[in-house]
Amino acid sequence: MGFLQRPFVVLLLILTYQLLQCLVAFGSVNEGDQKQEQFTEELLLKPLPDRKVLAHFHFQSSAPPSAANGRRHHHLFPKAISQLIQKFQVKEMELSFTQGRWNYESWGGFDPIASSNAKPPGVELWAVFDVAQDQIDASWKNLTHALSGLFCASINFLESTTTYSSPEWSFPPASGNLRYGTLPREAVCTENLTPWLKLLPCRDKAGLSVLLDRPSIYRGYYHSQRLHLTARGSGSKEMDSGIVLDQTLTVVLQPSSRSAGMVHASETHIQPSWSLSSMFGKQVIGKCVLAKSSNVYLQLDSSLVVDLKHLQKENEKSPTDSLTSENFWTNPSFELSANPDSLLIEENSLHGKGLSVLYKFQVENYSESEPFDLSFTWKIPVIWSCQQAPLHASRFLMGSGNERGAIAISLKSTQLNEGFIGFNADNERCELRVDIFQVVPWYVKVYFHSLQVFVDQQPKAVSDVIEKIRVSPSKDKVSPGMMEMVLKLPCRVKSAALTIDFDKGFLHIDEYPPDANQGFDIPSAIISFPNFHASMDFPEDDSMNKSSLLSKFKEKSPVMSYTEVLLVPLTTPDFSMPYNVITITCTVFALYFGSLLNVLRRRVAEEERFLKDKAANKTGGLSVMLSKLSTKLRGRPWEPPHSVQHSSSFINSKLVFKVILVAGLAVGWQYFFS
Amino acid sequence: MANTLSLYRTVKRLGIPDERIILMLADDMACNSRNKYPAQVFNNENHRLNLYGDNVEVDYRGYEVTVENFLRVLTGRHETAVPRSKRLLSDEGSHILLYMTGHGGDEFLKFQDSEELQSHDLADAVKQMKEKLRFKELLIMVDTCQAATLFNQLQSPGVLAIGSSMKGENSYSHHLDSDVGVSVVDRFTYYTLAFFERLNIYDNASLSSLFSSYNPNMLMSTAYYRRDLYQRRLEEVPVTNFFGSVMETIHTDVAYKALSRKDSGKFEAKISLDQSVGHDERRTLINIKEDDEIHNIETEGQQGDTKCPWSTFLKNLQNAEYVESLVNYGLVAMLPFLAVSTWLFH
Repeated sequence: MGFLQRPFVVLLLILTYQLLQCLVAFGSVNEGDQKQEQFTEELLLKPLPDRKVLAHFHFQSSAPPSAANGRRHHHLFPKAISQLIQKFQVKEMELSFTQGRWNYESWGGFDPIASSNAKPPGVELWAVFDVAQDQIDASWKNLTHALSGLFCASINFLESTTTYSSPEWSFPPASGNLRYGTLPREAVCTENLTPWLKLLPCRDKAGLSVLLDRPSIYRGYYHSQRLHLTARGSGSKEMDSGIVLDQTLTVVLQPSSRSAGMVHASETHIQPSWSLSSMFGKQVIGKCVLAKSSNVYLQLDSSLVVDLKHLQKENEKSPTDSLTSENFWTNPSFELSANPDSLLIEENSLHGKGLSVLYKFQVENYSESEPFDLSFTWKIPVIWSCQQAPLHASRFLMGSGNERGAIAISLKSTQLNEGFIGFNADNERCELRVDIFQVVPWYVKVYFHSLQVFVDQQPKAVSDVIEKIRVSPSKDKVSPGMMEMVLKLPCRVKSAALTIDFDKGFLHIDEYPPDANQGFDIPSAIISFPNFHASMDFPEDDSMNKSSLLSKFKEKSPVMSYTEVLLVPLTTPDFSMPYNVITITCTVFALYFGSLLNVLRRRVAEEERFLKDKAANKTGGLSVMLSKLSTKLRGRPWEPPHSVQHSSSFINSKLVFKVILVAGLAVGWQYFFS
Repeated sequence: MANTLSLYRTVKRLGIPDERIILMLADDMACNSRNKYPAQVFNNENHRLNLYGDNVEVDYRGYEVTVENFLRVLTGRHETAVPRSKRLLSDEGSHILLYMTGHGGDEFLKFQDSEELQSHDLADAVKQMKEKLRFKELLIMVDTCQAATLFNQLQSPGVLAIGSSMKGENSYSHHLDSDVGVSVVDRFTYYTLAFFERLNIYDNASLSSLFSSYNPNMLMSTAYYRRDLYQRRLEEVPVTNFFGSVMETIHTDVAYKALSRKDSGKFEAKISLDQSVGHDERRTLINIKEDDEIHNIETEGQQGDTKCPWSTFLKNLQNAEYVESLVNYGLVAMLPFLAVSTWLFH
């Protein structure tokens, strides 16, 4: 027994030791929270004024600096991304896949979502590299190829120098090592979303990403998936997180208004009610266990909140200020199916038009037996509008025909600007700064000297309005044209317009895409307003669980908007023409040389005699017959000449005559023209 | 496109992982705004099976699907930056399935409605692959009109080829989905899939049972297979050699010995697809059989008409009595040439 017990005790000792070690390790996990890899998932829902709903998913993974983490070992952070950063020395990168166009007028243009998540259609990629100036292009090329393999898209078309450019200062994260490229016509589909989801630790199996049901997402009006990377050098800021990967997916969905319509058949103006299961067809069962926090937010726009307050005051039902009271969600205008865990109110909004409200729901309180399915039911019709960017930008083409045209960018003042006049009135020379960044492909040959500026429909001298301009003209088949400029407009401007003329170039027949007749795209221009910052500051209840979404909202980034993609029809050749030309030329040559050789080489008389000799050798009777025939023919010369010899000699003489005639003609021609 | 995706789904079901499949799709049909069912593609009218599921991995798409890229993939001549997922990483032990569908004709296959892959190109690429030891056995499957003509130039040993139709025959679509508005699947592919639906990964069906399952009356064309370059007997080759991946598991009593197990060979499937919108000739769905035959004759008749004048001309050329007229033509044709050349050199 004693022998048996001893190893058992030793085993027990070992076990307890291991357990202790584990506990110690666990404790250190809690202590060194900042040093660990983290993952948070958040979803923001927001009703939009035009009966649609915005859903904004935000997944953030962060990894500590690689030096602290012993090189290449990751728990949560996707290995593919960290390898990418290490290999190509990427400092910051953003890749977005977008389908549809963000409607700045009705979905807002001032809040952080609109200015940093509204993207141009197709693929947009920019990256800042931490390498020497002469290696940037090589890094960029390799990066595009790697990303195209990773995300199943033709991002590798951005490798050629004709498709990307390097803005100096107009693009917000401006730096000399930046490369920027777009593919406006790239299709976005599930094969792009799937690898994006595979970067999440829970994929689409648990947590909020369960909601991402492909058919319902792609049925939406707007869909943009974005991947933003920031890598900070481990040397300079040791305390900062090493790599931060933000993955956002912004969808604008139309809730099916059928059920709402059934209930409120008479009230057609009422906003459609929605729930998570009606929009996505799925419910959230619980949080992704690997996520540090998993929250759902419901945002009400500031103007909507103001509206609702007014309505409540009219009703005079609640005596206290409802906004600060805890029972705001049981108000007469709408109803929520779940009680929010907390209520966040925006702090010191710059635009002073009321404060937007955020309801916070913690997914960890829900389970499989009690799934989280937030539903939002409107009770009364409400009309509100989203906050607009100071100027609404649109871009269009002018001119007709396949030779030349002009690009026009028009900026129209929105209501918001009126509010800002009061804000800026203290300054004696109130000015509105607008940055424009525009890339034009080389086959659209822009004449930069033809730039014209109109302010309030009055032509202005370019130097009065444009403070700073940087132009890099396009080189044929080498680089695209790029234009960066800073406009200074008076605050009270109603409208401004810029026009610039261009000529349409010609492409080589091999350079046309298969569907060339569809036209060619000019990528979106970026209009940014550096004076205005899209930021929303929500106070957070606990400093421990800092929400990555809300801290993103807090960041002061200039208001940005993208213009439409332009479609320029270029002259296209008849693509079958080369074949036609080759075919007809070859036919004529073959006919000419074939017949000429035939005539020159063939001796008809010889052949006839040969045949006749052969026939004569064969049978004596035939030769007799032939000789009889010939004598008969000679006897009656008036009969139609059947003699082949006669006709052949006739042909011969005729032929010789013709050849001589043509030769003579040629000589005459030559002589005449010389 | 549903053709390719159906086959893609089948080979994945039979155990080939995504990294061993190179999928080329010229069109984005699933997320096109004209698709009534976004992010979904069906191969049957009943819409029971979404081919474009959550896990499709398209390696080449859109403008990338060119003859050049196709030949680069086959021969392995890539730029250094091209990622591994876009390369065909095969060796001398690999069994490769190459499936192509789209518009076809006499010894060519159309890519993107703008360029052609000719039978010579294909034969050259296969020959190069053989010399570079890129495959052990290659099965080429083509579902186009006159598909059999694409194999005419093949010479490399170890190549097995099957086409949906003989020379002069069209391949037809199986049925029209009136809800989506297009014909969804072609007959040859449909019956191939029907054969594979009965199989699972462990079945031992042979290639000859696949080939004999094609019924010319059902296909409305004659499936042609070329086996003179293939040494093994088709009865002995299981279809999973090409269409599936069966890992051989060896039970060992000692740990780590399993590492030395026999490599059961790599299976790579290569799929290419041509643009299939506006596909008038091939995708015309005909419900009644008589109509179909008429249609067939019509297209044949047109070809005959275009052929006729040329062949009579060729015949006439041989007769000596037309020499004179021919010479006349020749001389007349010479005149403008002479004029142009003198004008040019002047």
